[in-house]
Amino acid sequence: MDVLIEAEKLTKVYPGGVLAVDHIDLSVKEGEIFGFLGPNGAGKTSTIMMLVTLSHPTEGRALIAGWDVVHDRSRVRSVLGYVSQDIAVDEYLTGWENTLLQGKLYHLSIQEIKNRGREVLEMVDLWERKNDLVQTYSGGMRKRLDIACGLIHRPRILFLDEPTLGLDIQTRSRIWEYIRRLRSEHNMTIFLTTHYMDEADKLCDRIAIIDRGKLMALGTPLELKHSVGGDLVTIQFAENGNENKEKIIPTIRQLPFVESVKEKDSQLLIVTKDGNTSIPLILSRLHDIDTEVASISMKRPSLDDVFLFYTGRQLRDEEASAQDFYRMRRAIRRAR
Amino acid sequence: MKNMLSDIWYICWREMKHFWGQKVRILMNIVQPLVWLGLMGNMFSNISAIPGFPANSYLQFMTPGVIAMISIFGATFGGMSIVFDRRFGYLNKLLASPISRVSVPMGKMLASALQTGIQSLIIILIALALGVNFGTGVLGVLVIVLISMLLTLAISGIALSLSAVLKTQESLMAVVNFLIMPLIFTSNAMFPTNMMPKWLASIASFNPISFAVEPMRDLVLGSWKWGTLAVDILVILGFGLLMTAIATLLFRRSVV
Repeated sequence: MDVLIEAEKLTKVYPGGVLAVDHIDLSVKEGEIFGFLGPNGAGKTSTIMMLVTLSHPTEGRALIAGWDVVHDRSRVRSVLGYVSQDIAVDEYLTGWENTLLQGKLYHLSIQEIKNRGREVLEMVDLWERKNDLVQTYSGGMRKRLDIACGLIHRPRILFLDEPTLGLDIQTRSRIWEYIRRLRSEHNMTIFLTTHYMDEADKLCDRIAIIDRGKLMALGTPLELKHSVGGDLVTIQFAENGNENKEKIIPTIRQLPFVESVKEKDSQLLIVTKDGNTSIPLILSRLHDIDTEVASISMKRPSLDDVFLFYTGRQLRDEEASAQDFYRMRRAIRRAR
Repeated sequence: MKNMLSDIWYICWREMKHFWGQKVRILMNIVQPLVWLGLMGNMFSNISAIPGFPANSYLQFMTPGVIAMISIFGATFGGMSIVFDRRFGYLNKLLASPISRVSVPMGKMLASALQTGIQSLIIILIALALGVNFGTGVLGVLVIVLISMLLTLAISGIALSLSAVLKTQESLMAVVNFLIMPLIFTSNAMFPTNMMPKWLASIASFNPISFAVEPMRDLVLGSWKWGTLAVDILVILGFGLLMTAIATLLFRRSVV
């Protein structure tokens, strides 16, 4: 598989010395859904802006489908689709006119726009409303139109900046569904930013955690969770099955995948590398020493635990109020 | 090249869609000249009695001035649209696509010029209805419309240059307001230069707006002064091209 997005020591310093992106290295393979997870102001949008050629890196470089984002800008632009967090659709035009204009910006022929326009508008369920002014659309419909516009030229790589920011649950899950379809039907590579844990967890093949411009961790959601510590397996013993109590802890501790064992009340707390595969082995070892188990449960560390571990903070603590958020975005836009 | 022309056209197409889409704006295009010509023309009608006044009626004198004024308003409005596009993120969408960078300011300038052409025709129709006689006929009217479009090109170049540098609508509004009214009142648009104080008359003779108003006024008053017409059109055209060049250059420098 080809590497379609590659960044080396990518850095952005805004005028006035704000270090927004701090020497980020990453690579994304073809057909991957890659998530950039971080609180507001972490540098997610600043990174995307460099990758989609809208801002020059202060230092380092990035390649999109092998083309340099600074020197081969026009080639980069024609292979990527970019859907910003601004919901940049023209509300004085109809849905179809927005689609047509977008197709023309990518130099498609009218015939191509007619075919693909229908395809993308049907995908986001807006074909019926295509002749209505965007002014009459709801926020979710505008976002869907924006995504449809970003797909009209069949980009190999799609950049989605906060694709579900501020949308309701139904619209969010619909957008997730579109994103999965784009990957499965067109093998599209998708790079998205989010500050929603569940979005990163459920949707992305790999996640990069970014905080204060620095890449803190990178891996599959599972790898990241494992890296924080193993799964917690809790065993409840049967009433009378606890005769060889003194043998239990040393026996379990011998197992290679077990990281720690603790007894609390009549429960055994085991931290293990992979709960799914270690539970049968733990059970059979307990059976060998004639210990009866009443119940067993397992808890995986959540992505919240992962975020806390790598940044020392809870993601939700960092969510600025909407007002601060827009003020900051405007400040960045002005600086460009 | 073919792509660039297509890019310019579709940027312009979008602006024209905005123009037709806003009913109030079209209505104002009719109401504004009605008020200017009907009210102001009537208020100052006695000026034409002063010896040395170059026209029979103030209304006839003022029609080219109103055309110039409406051109300037339209041009600044068009130039400012880029600031709104920037604010709502649409500019980034345009710039992330493989369109040529210069097509954005050029498309917007072209749209402003076309819109001015339509507005000038509306003003001329209203003036005709109010009894203004266009001395050089249909051909003269066409040249008047052309000159108003060239003037728009130049002024929208100024507005686009400013919006490329200033980037926010608040600061742009302040600067534009500061520029526009003095620019109009130090030209020959509202008042004949031969009746101005000397210092004002000499400012007016360098004011680019005067170069557009003078030939338009000659045409309304009924004379083809080929020499001044050619010079004035060349000056406006040159000024327009210069402003286009500056606007595209500044725009290119303001984006990646």
